Amino acid sequence: MSAGEDNRIVASGRRLTWRELPLADLPSPVAVLAATGLDALVAARQHAVQGTELVLSTPTRVDPELRDELADAGFTVVRLDDGDVTVVEKGRQRAAEPERLWLLTSGSTGRPKRVGHTLDSLTTVRGTQEPRTWLCPYSPGTYAWWQVVTLSLTQPGQDLVVIEPSQLDNWAQIASEHGVTAASGTPTFWRQAIYRDGEALARVPLRQITLGGEPVDQAILDQLREIFPAARISWIYASSELGASIVVHDGRAGFPREWLDRSAADRPSISVDGDELVIRSPYHGVGLTGAVRTGDRVEIIDGRVHIVGRLNSDEINVGGSKISAGLVRHVLTAHPQVAWARVTSRKAPIVGRMVQAEVVLAPTADRTVIDESALVKWCGDRLPDYGVPRRIRFLDEIPVKETLKSDV
Amino acid sequence: MAQVMKNQGKVLPDDDSADLREIGFRSLDFSELALRVEDETGDELNFDAPGLRQIATVGDVLDFLLQLQSE
Repeated sequence: MSAGEDNRIVASGRRLTWRELPLADLPSPVAVLAATGLDALVAARQHAVQGTELVLSTPTRVDPELRDELADAGFTVVRLDDGDVTVVEKGRQRAAEPERLWLLTSGSTGRPKRVGHTLDSLTTVRGTQEPRTWLCPYSPGTYAWWQVVTLSLTQPGQDLVVIEPSQLDNWAQIASEHGVTAASGTPTFWRQAIYRDGEALARVPLRQITLGGEPVDQAILDQLREIFPAARISWIYASSELGASIVVHDGRAGFPREWLDRSAADRPSISVDGDELVIRSPYHGVGLTGAVRTGDRVEIIDGRVHIVGRLNSDEINVGGSKISAGLVRHVLTAHPQVAWARVTSRKAPIVGRMVQAEVVLAPTADRTVIDESALVKWCGDRLPDYGVPRRIRFLDEIPVKETLKSDV
Repeated sequence: MAQVMKNQGKVLPDDDSADLREIGFRSLDFSELALRVEDETGDELNFDAPGLRQIATVGDVLDFLLQLQSE
């Protein structure tokens, strides 16, 4: 039994405790495609109690090709829907590896891959915590989902309110009703909440706000600080492969340069090679040892190390001059009338590539004043001329994927 | 072309014989103009810097883009 057995859970319209969750009749090894948030918690508890070798995901994130790959790797693929278990594909016969949890990475480069963990390696919060009610908006089985779930499973006083994908549009109202005091989400998730209904968001009694999963810029930290002046606002750099490696609580984007190249046996050590973030972490997945190249690009500005984007897509070469798409995005989102921005490169004659952007304006923005010219001027005052987006497209909604990211 | 100039805080003169260097129309502006033409026509334009050597005036730019589209 885990220490969080009596923590309360709200999921799929039910209120109960971890202890009251029914167990399902699952094989091992098993890949569970959880139809609801409650089904995902059932699978997680089953693993915690019985050590079932488990891959947890949702029906929409596992396509037939991935299903075949999982079956071939020995996982019986089952659909868990309101407690009912349906075998979708039988796995190749092999012995189970007890206590093993597998995460499917988001697969930003090619096919999703499995990263091995245990409940212990996923549990990064170990000190005694003040009682909190956590929002869990993440998709079941992702690293961020496990972070919130292991906290509730292993720490007394950490209740959980699970948000289904269909509830993402009005999660703030649900969170208010259930007294959520702590929430973790991507910058896109928070931007969308402010954009949709900032007043509803302000009614949630949040004391802990966490951001992660995407580059975190100063503008979103400042907007959240304005709405929640008394809350602790933290951002986390974490990945399925390395676990939670960087945690920043001072309300500022980036982390202090002094954190680089410090070593302690029980803490991740962070370094930069060229402009790539390199991390050695005690929370890494199975099979990963030593320093791991993250593929994430950093820029050091005014003594802070900013993680600006992926190495293979962040740097844009405009006629031989290089600019970070992440930095251009930060300039756009710092505009008081911009709710969200994505910056990419586009093939162009003469200079090879040019910077372009997609932007969602704040609901209060005066669209007769804030047009392409106004944003080009804003950027022109803050960036070198080759870094100014020359084509800006305005979108009506902030695009969000199931991972709560928007591939910025 | 007027929009490209406006976004850069400049004004496109009425005179087609206006010199590009004098009005501050640079290679980045030319690239942006090409992207705008691409977006309007749906066709990708392919040319590089050497092809622009003979282009000195506003009228030359417009003629060049028309010629590219007719190829």
